[in-house]
Amino acid sequence: MLSPFKLSTCMALCLALVGPSMATDIPAGTQFHATQTMVRSNGSEPESMDPAVAETVPANQILRDLFEGLTATDTTGKTVPGVAESWKQTNPTTWVFKLRTNAKFSNGVNITAEDFVYGIRRFVDPKTASPYATTFGVFLLNGLEVAMGKKPTSEVGVKALDKYTLEIKTVDPISFLPELVANTQLGPVHKATVEKFGKDWVKPGNTVGNGAYILKDWQVNNRIVIEKNPQYWDAANVRLTKVTYLPIEDQFADIKLWESGETDYVYQMPPGVFDKYKAQYPKELKNQAVIGLRYYDFQTKTTFKDVRVRKALSMVIDRDILSKRVTADGQAPAYSLIVAGVAGADPTPYEWATWPMDKRIAEAKKLLAEAGVKPGTKYTFAYNVSDYHKKMAIFAASEWKTKLGIILETEAMEFKVLAKRRHDGAFQIGRNGWLADYNDATSFLALVRCDSDQNTNFYCDREAEALIQKGTQSADPVKRKELLTQASKKIMDGYPIIPLVQYSLPRLIKSYVGGYSELNPQDHYRSKDFYIIKH
Amino acid sequence: MWSYTLRRTLATIPTLIAVISVCYFLLHATPGGPFDSDRQVSAAVLANLQAKYHLDLPLWQQYLLYLQSLLQGDLGASFRYADWTVNDLVGKALPISFAIGGTSMALSLVIGVAVGIWAAIRQNSVIDHVVMLISNVGSAFPSFVIGPVLILVFAVGLGWLPAGGWNNFELRFMVLPVALLTFINVSTIGRVMRGSLIEVMHSNFIRTARAKGLPERVVVLRHALKPALLPVVSTLGPLAISSITAALVTETVFSLPGIGKLIVNGAGNRDYTLVLGLVVLVTVLAVLMNLLVDLAYAMLDPKIRY
Repeated sequence: MLSPFKLSTCMALCLALVGPSMATDIPAGTQFHATQTMVRSNGSEPESMDPAVAETVPANQILRDLFEGLTATDTTGKTVPGVAESWKQTNPTTWVFKLRTNAKFSNGVNITAEDFVYGIRRFVDPKTASPYATTFGVFLLNGLEVAMGKKPTSEVGVKALDKYTLEIKTVDPISFLPELVANTQLGPVHKATVEKFGKDWVKPGNTVGNGAYILKDWQVNNRIVIEKNPQYWDAANVRLTKVTYLPIEDQFADIKLWESGETDYVYQMPPGVFDKYKAQYPKELKNQAVIGLRYYDFQTKTTFKDVRVRKALSMVIDRDILSKRVTADGQAPAYSLIVAGVAGADPTPYEWATWPMDKRIAEAKKLLAEAGVKPGTKYTFAYNVSDYHKKMAIFAASEWKTKLGIILETEAMEFKVLAKRRHDGAFQIGRNGWLADYNDATSFLALVRCDSDQNTNFYCDREAEALIQKGTQSADPVKRKELLTQASKKIMDGYPIIPLVQYSLPRLIKSYVGGYSELNPQDHYRSKDFYIIKH
Repeated sequence: MWSYTLRRTLATIPTLIAVISVCYFLLHATPGGPFDSDRQVSAAVLANLQAKYHLDLPLWQQYLLYLQSLLQGDLGASFRYADWTVNDLVGKALPISFAIGGTSMALSLVIGVAVGIWAAIRQNSVIDHVVMLISNVGSAFPSFVIGPVLILVFAVGLGWLPAGGWNNFELRFMVLPVALLTFINVSTIGRVMRGSLIEVMHSNFIRTARAKGLPERVVVLRHALKPALLPVVSTLGPLAISSITAALVTETVFSLPGIGKLIVNGAGNRDYTLVLGLVVLVTVLAVLMNLLVDLAYAMLDPKIRY
């Protein structure tokens, strides 16, 4: 049952969201370099350049340059108009987007509402087999059923009201829909091109996009070169004419390439070098906190049935030492499922987070004694091979050994093996991490909710679940936030996971690169917002 | 010799089938599949993905389908890189690995043999000791240590060469990886050459040649070199193969888009078709190299007849 829709709330929301399109905020008096080109390190090789199929961060990063959804994210993380110039929520579950008439595909063809209908239907179509089909599809009316092959694609809640008006119907009232549709998975696709080239439509020379850039060259494991798209509606405000993305997996190699001047932008610095490089390159070192959480899962189904044991183990890990001395890469301690910067719920740090460690240890010992867990008890910890995770695991093991006498046996494995074991629940304590797909509390709650695909601790609190249901069905954002915060606190008091640190992306960026704000919590920096200062 | 070559070539077919089969089933038996990831896809999406790649069929059917397409020269679609076929990926990466591996093999052979001869004829001199020391360093230090040192000195420190990457066979991107592989290979070839030449130089026929009053240069180059080369030639086969395995490291260190990089990523991603395709490729190369080595034997050693 939907709660009554508050018109005033909607009005306020719509007014807040719909603003005029703005060019990148470039400080007055900025002198531009003669050549506006940039080389960005991008982590690893993107698995696809098809917006419907792409899954990983590196792929989506490039796709935000090649395609544009109804909305987009500016350098400060704000949702700004994309192909849609305005939008409004006409009832709790219906949104109407007005498309700009001058938006074109890179082949010069005008973008119409039908192109969005085609793009979204293609995205949720089981034949496309998009890994994100249910992640985003769940919000659209019939999206889940279509993705599961139970309804035809024509049933998904998206409709062209006229050539330049698109209607999207959602399952629940979703205040963050304008932000969600910035994802290129939900963007327009040029049907004739897909039909003509089939799988090869994404290759340079064939591809037709609608972003600020066009794909020019793609050498797998070597580079992706994109060039400015003259047909882009906001081309006048696009400064960089050419951007080269490099798939550099080795983080030390990444820094070396940057230091030798071959790249302008390090994707992510390795652990343990933050302070060193901060001293060496104070102007170039940037640290972007992102809405993501590094955490450990408890296997609540079997080994860790007792909440007292889970709580005791969580309490004694000193997150300050962990983030400052162990990972030492500028990440912030976390004591809550919801991290700073997440919309739709507030962080709910544990009360003991501010206690002195002695008091925490005493309390933890008491809890273990009550639960009948004696010092010398052994647990196993599963993690994937990586120096980063190994460092953290050794630290956790030492915390538990020295403070509680609990022995942790660590088991390193390949990432794919860990992923499988997490899903099967074949671990006692397991390393995990999460980067939000969209900025809303539900993205994090998915990790601990009943019956969620992402829940690998198998914890389920039916009362909290009811609160979440009530919250997501509420059309009042204030009420919704209150309920989701309450639910998150309730679940976390059951200790299904150990929150450890909030992700951040420490990186080195040449001082002549303008437009990087450190305010983009999902790291959705579009090349469109960067420029090269005269140097 | 032709009939020998033909027989050897035909004999590779059962080898290939055995390698492919073992690899196929081992790969599928490895825990974790291509679609396991941080973001666990829902059951419905997983079913869609598995149907797309025929993973929903019984394993033996998948295997037969794979063999069928392999016979048609089709290595299949990559599980990970959805936009590419394995043929595309291998076709683009192979020339790069060949360029790096081939150049360094040729250089290693020339330098290694020269250095080996030099050290052998001046056995126990300062030159010999220096050569052996460098060659031991090359064998003892792993490439993932020497590589980054080269980058530190020549790219970051001196700024002469790029720290990595690849640009259409441009020479400056090839120098460091080729230098690294050559250094490692020269260490092996040089050592083998030195040892073998020293042994040959103590043979009776060399004493005879010297007794005839032949100059030392002629003794070494005309009489000793050919038999001394035999052990070097036998190391070439395994060395060529190890150049491919060494490429796993060099290509990661220097961010090169070659075969080694594909193998590393393919295995980690459980990209079944990509890994199998590369296994087929490496097997064929290994068989080919060993055949070439055997044929070279016949040319060097008159006692060997095929």
